[in-house]
Amino acid sequence: MQADPSDLVQRAQQGDQAAFEALYRAHVGRVYALCLRLTADPVRAEELTQDAFVRAWERLASFRGESAFSSWLYRLTVNVVFLAQRASRRRALRVFTTHDPAALERPSDGSGTAAEQLDLERAMAALPPGARQVFVLHDVQGYRHHEIAELTGIAVGTSKAQLFRARRLLREALSR
Amino acid sequence: MMCGDREVQLNEYVDGTLAAGARALVETHLAQCAGCREAVAELRALLAGAAALPKSIEPGRDLWAPITARIVQRATWNVRRAFWRGALAAAATLVIGFALYRLLPSSPAHDRREERGWVAVQADYARATDDLAAAFATERDRLEPATLALLERNLGVIDAAIRESRDALARDPGNIELRGLFAAAARQKVELLRWATRAAT
Repeated sequence: MQADPSDLVQRAQQGDQAAFEALYRAHVGRVYALCLRLTADPVRAEELTQDAFVRAWERLASFRGESAFSSWLYRLTVNVVFLAQRASRRRALRVFTTHDPAALERPSDGSGTAAEQLDLERAMAALPPGARQVFVLHDVQGYRHHEIAELTGIAVGTSKAQLFRARRLLREALSR
Repeated sequence: MMCGDREVQLNEYVDGTLAAGARALVETHLAQCAGCREAVAELRALLAGAAALPKSIEPGRDLWAPITARIVQRATWNVRRAFWRGALAAAATLVIGFALYRLLPSSPAHDRREERGWVAVQADYARATDDLAAAFATERDRLEPATLALLERNLGVIDAAIRESRDALARDPGNIELRGLFAAAARQKVELLRWATRAAT
């Protein structure tokens, strides 16, 4: 029987690492997927996934239950990714396209064919970082432009411009 | 191929963020323009594909072990840091106590110290509060924003009281009541900084 998520959160807030591990097991896939799509770098995505859970453990006391724990965790993850990006702005983002396609060749859990999804994942990974990140947050994760602006520190207009650019580049890539 | 100046409109159209009037204009254009109709169809397919992507991708290895190692490591570090913060706070309290003792007017010995002036006392006080403030500054971001704002407001009030007492003492160095006011404000600041340092760790 699965434990009640709110009970797990309460126990984790009281320092119960077993409860926090259960939360990790429940959410690591989504956190890693978010990090992977934002960075297009599997190694960096693993590091950031670890950072996100360590940060979540440290900040658990600040979770008041006003939103779902998952929403809180994913927003925290986006913050971790963008803070890390700002901290290492000079380090070139390693973009992989055909060099390491295996990293995104995972079983599908949604509609559409796996081949189409893999094409889209590869095309997303090849986007310029700013366009990719806004596309992932808006069209994959479902954030609105004002939320993206708040999370990433860019203007709403910039978020829209990056999104439309990403869509144009993706349509071009997928129609080849 | 879509009309070159329609990209923003068509994106807003598929996102459903256009006002009714603008939406109607786009629909009128779409009825006449095959290129833009094709672009809208591609955009909708792209959005549907993005929304259908797997929400979860398992990492290539189990990350729990390194995460738990970091949590334990940080907990150990926090305990050590709390110890040193406590030691620092205790040392600061001693310095402040000594400084306040200098302010007390009673014995001839004290009078001799008093002659050295309250400038020396102020230096002791400033050093102690600076140490505590520096310790707190490194961890202040751990406090809730509302708590931090309240703390800063209170520190501002105390600092104003300290400034006023100091100014008044500069004009009237021998005034016992002013020394008492200065001592009370200094004690409040030390207590507040000690609390803040504990709360942030």
